Amino acid sequence: MESFQIATADWLKALQKLNESFIVYAPVNNGDSIDYEIVGDNNINDIIYNTPKPVTPLKTFFLPVKENVVINKKIHNKNIIMGIPSCDLAGVSLLDEIYLDKDFIDPYYRNVRENSILIGTDCFTTQEHCHCTAYGINPYPEKNNDLSLISLNGSILIFVNTDKGIEIAARIKEVATVHEISSENIKAVQTKREAVKKELKKSYKNLPDYKETGKLIIKSKDAIWEKYAKTCVSCGACATICPTCTCFLLIDRPDFEKVRQLDACQYPGFERIAAGEDPLGRKYVRFRNRYLCKYVWKPEKFESIACTGCGRCIESCIGSINKNELFTELVNKK
Amino acid sequence: MSNIGSIYKPLKAKVDKVITESPTIKTLVLIPEADFSFKTGEFIQLTLNGYGEAPFTPSSSPLEKRRLEVTIMKAGYVTEKVHALKAGEVVGIRGPFGRGYPVEQFYGKEIVIVSGGCGFAPIRSLLYNLMAEKEKFKKVTVCYGAKTPEECIYKPFVDELRKTERFEVYRSVDNADDKWEEKEGVVTILLDDIKVDIKNSVAVVCGPPVMMKFGTMKLLEMGYPGSDIYLSMEKNMSCGLGKCGHCMMGKYFVCKDGPVFTYEEIKNEPDIWL
Repeated sequence: MESFQIATADWLKALQKLNESFIVYAPVNNGDSIDYEIVGDNNINDIIYNTPKPVTPLKTFFLPVKENVVINKKIHNKNIIMGIPSCDLAGVSLLDEIYLDKDFIDPYYRNVRENSILIGTDCFTTQEHCHCTAYGINPYPEKNNDLSLISLNGSILIFVNTDKGIEIAARIKEVATVHEISSENIKAVQTKREAVKKELKKSYKNLPDYKETGKLIIKSKDAIWEKYAKTCVSCGACATICPTCTCFLLIDRPDFEKVRQLDACQYPGFERIAAGEDPLGRKYVRFRNRYLCKYVWKPEKFESIACTGCGRCIESCIGSINKNELFTELVNKK
Repeated sequence: MSNIGSIYKPLKAKVDKVITESPTIKTLVLIPEADFSFKTGEFIQLTLNGYGEAPFTPSSSPLEKRRLEVTIMKAGYVTEKVHALKAGEVVGIRGPFGRGYPVEQFYGKEIVIVSGGCGFAPIRSLLYNLMAEKEKFKKVTVCYGAKTPEECIYKPFVDELRKTERFEVYRSVDNADDKWEEKEGVVTILLDDIKVDIKNSVAVVCGPPVMMKFGTMKLLEMGYPGSDIYLSMEKNMSCGLGKCGHCMMGKYFVCKDGPVFTYEEIKNEPDIWL
């Protein structure tokens, strides 16, 4: 599909125009962290481009922490979500497989998903725990994005990927002067992409790939999990912030209503049955369960991968557990 | 959009009757506000309004569309409240969910059923189904075990079963009293005495996890291949839709891929006996 570039000033005009018909979310720098904010006149100039992941994973737009899933709702607002890095875009594939499973389509998920335009971004820099390339994901948008966008040399480069993207491109063109992407810019993007890939590969050269990790986990002994789970406090931050962890609890409310609330297999009692038996009763077993799920069971059941190498679980762990150190240790023990 | 919540929304059902089956087990007879169909072995979620929800496999005949029975042991948070229900109260049901017993695959065969405690509930539904087309099966042998004679459930049903051609029922209790005229011991001892053509039969096991484990081991010892042993698995099923993750058993969502599995399908999965 098409691609073009426009002057940054034109892009800001286009964004204001889009803001009239959509709720636009974009990554904004809050000082020590980057997160999505609703774009308005107050922050339109603070949007940051070409950067790795915002704190909040993309899944939160489609699966809110708490949502009543029995009451009828009006059609959701139309959203544009900008600045989505490839790790989060890759995560959408698994979400779609689960929540748009043809046997039971989740209407709440589908509603927001269908009413959201996803705009991907290249990552021109990396964060300490980024490791997408270890799992076969490039640090630039390749799937699940309607458009992608790069800010470069005073221009915004726009790549259109879907029919939804064409509609947005048409609206942009109404207020912006469109140019063909210059050959220098194409070259600059290619050079940048290669450099970021190289940087990521260098930092994670000893990390096993996705499939190999699954094999190592199957062969692993309890001791290593006990060792790494020592500082785990079962807070569930790793699962809450993971772009592909989507387990939930159904909470009963009066009038036979039900609230779907984000849950985590790290919480005690997640699998407990009526008589009290609990296969995940021990902390290290729960800790291991999440990785068995991600690297062994989900790949057996679904097409899409269940870890996209975003590194959020490492950043968010208050017990300072680094799963990549664990997997590297498993390689070394082989 | 009007139907947006339908996959999570319970259907209301009135409690028509509460039957006390044993000191710890009761059966709810429910009249759903709309016809409700299920295949034997599939399960439902029973919702107590604003309180909680728990999974049960109906114990009534799958041929019955207007009434639904669930037999429930007092075992936890939701079931305590279930035992306090009175006729006339309204509950919610969701489902049916999952994969039940593949009854058509049992045609022309002998069926050996090993069941314990409240695990007789799904089995009674299966037996109603088998009785309705009994000419299609060679023989049905039911081995049922309970802790004590007073914990043996469905007494009138067992009498009816014993009078039915091609059906045999053997029972044992862990602790017998003076009046008990059947076997004493764990349910698997009943398998020592039955006559069965293993090659032309299938086995069905349903009960508490420890009974399922030893029942399955015994059947394997007797020569049943894992692919002919059908198990109804107990996990913490919640959404019923293969999404919430609470019932994961390795790669399977028990709520969607089960709850009925052959032993062959799940033998390498973790914690199958919990």
